[in-house]
Amino acid sequence: MTGLEKPLLGFNGISKRFASRTILNSIELELCEGQCHLLLGENGAGKSTLLRIMAGLLKPDTATISYQQQLHRWNKARQLLREQAMYLHQAPYLFDGSVLKNLNYALPASTSGKHKASAIDEVLEWGGLKGLVDSPAKQLSGGEKQRLALARARLRNAPILLLDEPTSNLDQASRDRTLDLLSSLKDEGISMLIACHDLSGFTDISDGEYCLSAGSLVWDKA
Amino acid sequence: MQESLGNAVVEAIALLLSGDPALWEIIGISFTVSGTAIVLAVIPAMVLGFMLAFYQFPGRRLLIALSNTLLSVPAVVIGLTFYLLLSRQGPLGDMRLLFTQSAMIIGQIALAFPLLVAMSHSAFQAVDRRAWETAITIGQSSIGALFLMVREARFALLAAVLAGFGRIIAEVGASMMLGGNILHYTRNIPTAIALETSKGDFAQGIALGIVLLVLAFTLNIFLHLFQGKGVLS
Repeated sequence: MTGLEKPLLGFNGISKRFASRTILNSIELELCEGQCHLLLGENGAGKSTLLRIMAGLLKPDTATISYQQQLHRWNKARQLLREQAMYLHQAPYLFDGSVLKNLNYALPASTSGKHKASAIDEVLEWGGLKGLVDSPAKQLSGGEKQRLALARARLRNAPILLLDEPTSNLDQASRDRTLDLLSSLKDEGISMLIACHDLSGFTDISDGEYCLSAGSLVWDKA
Repeated sequence: MQESLGNAVVEAIALLLSGDPALWEIIGISFTVSGTAIVLAVIPAMVLGFMLAFYQFPGRRLLIALSNTLLSVPAVVIGLTFYLLLSRQGPLGDMRLLFTQSAMIIGQIALAFPLLVAMSHSAFQAVDRRAWETAITIGQSSIGALFLMVREARFALLAAVLAGFGRIIAEVGASMMLGGNILHYTRNIPTAIALETSKGDFAQGIALGIVLLVLAFTLNIFLHLFQGKGVLS
């Protein structure tokens, strides 16, 4: 980081316990506009829990949240996070129905029919899903499912993307294609935090790294 | 006996096919009462089932235990409870609902509600937990996400509605106690079967029994067709 980037989303002191087990221990983390950070850590380090909290899907036990340098308490921040950030599961969940139906769900209900059609057409082209528009989403291959999830994210147009191991369980070709799409999203100015086991493949798009171990931030090169 | 049973079945089919007004009136009352009860019960029961599956709140476990317990309460006990509430001396006696179709609907809602809650709770619980998170994170409101979850669980939810309808259209205890089996007004299929059988008039009882069997068969076929379509889509 050069220090010139504009902070977008900041968290201080994120802690989370499930029963007697500490999952996250006073994590501090910041995302800047248009930047991509990696969240490294082994299985069970707390990466998915952290991403879920950052997406407003899971309530932390403690946390101070700042968005565009304004401080918010959780109750207010939760809705804001849900609006501004989008979380993508390691194995994307696709709803029962066609690719088109899945894309439609990511568009605001107020979108006009004409705009809806052109926006969907554009992301289908972008994600290389043009020929699959009427295919049942649940029957797509792993790579196609990941591309559909990214196309849905692009359609949703959230300024922050939180991705949970987006290239795990993909073959090399699908992995490369997914990385190209992530790079394209970054070029469009979307801020990203990508949870992964290792740096390989992500170094080209990464602006910094955080490393979690047993729920604590052990280092950051943000 | 075998011959008289055979005659009664033939007579029953003839009654059904002849469009006997008294018989079809009873069928109409049954469907009106049970249809209204299921329509009124289904939305609150499914919202509760959804909340039990997707939200943590105080009393949640108690509500699950309560709905599961109420599943096994006999219809006649539900009938007795509401009879005591709605009778002249009861706390709701001023409403003068006893021996009306409204009282039957109330009793049938009470019968169907726990079944609908328990089955819709199971149906929503079977939906992948990622579905809810995905719905929220792609920008759906809580109501929008609820509709998406209903869509994801639609086959199991439809099965719940059909099971609920099947339970109340065939129950006799609550209808008899709350409706009073009044001809042209509260006499429905099960109470009519009970009455005609006690009078020894088996033909009408069998004809109404055939209606219930055809109904059960039709509902099952409908469910299988719907599920089949879902698998193929």
